[in-house]
Amino acid sequence: MADILHVGIDLGTSRSAISASNGERFVVDSFVGWPLDMVAKKVLKREVLIGHEAVSNRTMLDLHRPLERGLLKEGSEKDVEAVRELLKHLLRLVGVNGKIDASNVRAVVGVPAAALRTNKQYLRNSMKGIVDSLLIVSEPFAVAYGLDALLHTMIVDIGAGTTDFCVMKGRYPTEEDQRTLTIAGDSIDTQLLKLIEERYPQANVTVFMVREWKEKHSFVGEPPARVVVTAPVKGVPTEIDITGEMRTACETILPPVVETMIDLLVRVEPEFQERVRNNIILSGGGGLIRGLSDALENALKGVGGGKVRYMQDPVFIGSDGGLALAIDAPEGDWEKLTA
Amino acid sequence: MKAARIERVKRRVLREAVAENLDVIRGAHPRAVRPANRLSRIWLRRAPYLLVPLTLAAYLARGSGGEAAAPVVRAFITTPAALRLPLAETTTSVERVTSAAFPLAVRRVVLDAGHGGSDPGATAARVSEKAITLDIGHRLRTLLEREGFEVIATRADDRTIALKDRARLANDSNSDIFVSIHVNAIVKYTASRGIETYYLGPTSDPSLTQLAAAENRVSGYSLGDMRKLLDGVYADARRDESHELAAMVQQQLFTTLRASDPGLENWGVKRAPFIVLVATDMPAVLAEVGCLSNEQEAAMLARPEYRQKIADALFHGIRAYASANDGPKKKGTPNHG
Repeated sequence: MADILHVGIDLGTSRSAISASNGERFVVDSFVGWPLDMVAKKVLKREVLIGHEAVSNRTMLDLHRPLERGLLKEGSEKDVEAVRELLKHLLRLVGVNGKIDASNVRAVVGVPAAALRTNKQYLRNSMKGIVDSLLIVSEPFAVAYGLDALLHTMIVDIGAGTTDFCVMKGRYPTEEDQRTLTIAGDSIDTQLLKLIEERYPQANVTVFMVREWKEKHSFVGEPPARVVVTAPVKGVPTEIDITGEMRTACETILPPVVETMIDLLVRVEPEFQERVRNNIILSGGGGLIRGLSDALENALKGVGGGKVRYMQDPVFIGSDGGLALAIDAPEGDWEKLTA
Repeated sequence: MKAARIERVKRRVLREAVAENLDVIRGAHPRAVRPANRLSRIWLRRAPYLLVPLTLAAYLARGSGGEAAAPVVRAFITTPAALRLPLAETTTSVERVTSAAFPLAVRRVVLDAGHGGSDPGATAARVSEKAITLDIGHRLRTLLEREGFEVIATRADDRTIALKDRARLANDSNSDIFVSIHVNAIVKYTASRGIETYYLGPTSDPSLTQLAAAENRVSGYSLGDMRKLLDGVYADARRDESHELAAMVQQQLFTTLRASDPGLENWGVKRAPFIVLVATDMPAVLAEVGCLSNEQEAAMLARPEYRQKIADALFHGIRAYASANDGPKKKGTPNHG
């Protein structure tokens, strides 16, 4: 019997990561683009571009971000195709269809909780045939599994399209244990772009530039340093100070995140609430916002205080969790989960 | 010891994750959100609220020589299916249980922009119902999300979606309320223009049957499905909730829009068997927010400012309903079944 490759995939709205049992790990931007016309195809010399390459060449592409706002749009063939291309690309990166045959791959795919809530069947069908066996789980659950944080823990996964909350109670999370907000990294980008445009109407700024600045300089609370970036103003590269705008934009996510966190906490059985409060784990790119865990801990003081930890390796935390699930799933279960 | 416990929990959650995926492969409803289970859990959790007053009512009825209350008490405490009694039985035997006994907070709202794709709905010179409902839906979504509601839209762009799929999306998303947005057209009476809001119920008005038939065209359900859906559904527990929501939406729509259009009539809150109201599990209403067959109103509906006013009115109606049902949230009581 050929060697089986287990993989964990974090299919995110902004970035997708893969961790494989052969030790390979990769991350790509969750963008898929097809050349707009024959000229673009000739220039790009490719049928489809994925990840950073797709973003860099976006002017020549029909660009898709398949899980925007955490959902796979039902009925959108291009988005389904984009998910399939993204998965195939990730698998190719770890050697599938090179040295390893797709029929020997067992994959756990973590998706935003909102995508699972709306249509599991559709999501599953759209991934059909790419690997031998497929287990789809919610992303915060994969994170919790990978960290052995399955009991009295809350995962707050701040991604690009959604912020997913999940309270782990020693069981597979149900609807009641999870919440999803569409206020996340993308909404910060939108807000930041708006604020910069208001203050510097002459500056020519795109959402892609804003996203890059946010990833480098985001913070809440007191600024760690001035945020000065370069943007073209009437075509001339000019330094602009966006410290205040960055803070305001990043802080927009605080009220809804705090409210949802506390709302989930008060639904935990009273005797376990303190343990959950002291076991809150921030994951996802949004967790990189400086000062966020302190701000959340401050907010928790109103309900008795708590501890918010941020994992140092947010990029692979979900895919590593998925890989752990894939390896732990019994052989008999994989046979039933044929994709 | 701790490690052994973690391993045990890991095995259990993994087994549950696999079981959920196998349910999906088999086409079964996900374990955590099977509608019947969900309703059962709501009923079980609320049973004490019901048992005390109902038992008391039954005792008093027996004491005064009445026998009628006993079967009703049995019906309420068995299963949710027992709720599907003929309307007369549930309303006459004992004092009705009001929606106040089920104070479930509203967090997730399904917005259903009527028609779409190959089904334009009603049309006028420059506008179609599908475009108007979609635009109002977008505007309403923004308002609701800003207020902290989670919003699920049955369609985000111009596409054909069967009513069955709209209802399925609403049910699978475990949402709290369902609001369907439509625009009327009364070709025989083009001088009329008004606002009306529907909730699920039988109607003896042939014009409403005709309207429901028109709106139910792209349903995706078979006759067999319909029989199952309609079996006793009119008497189910969410009827009162739907009526309350419809009343609040209608009031806001009429008072807001009347200010812009003094000739607008209040056609009130009505009952009709629209499919999206029949097949959804949660309190559901269908608002006819205008009348395209009236030339003056068609011109107003073509204006973005007027559509924003409609979205504002719908938002205030939904928020009023949510506020009225939000009691336990502040005390930290679980609200979701």
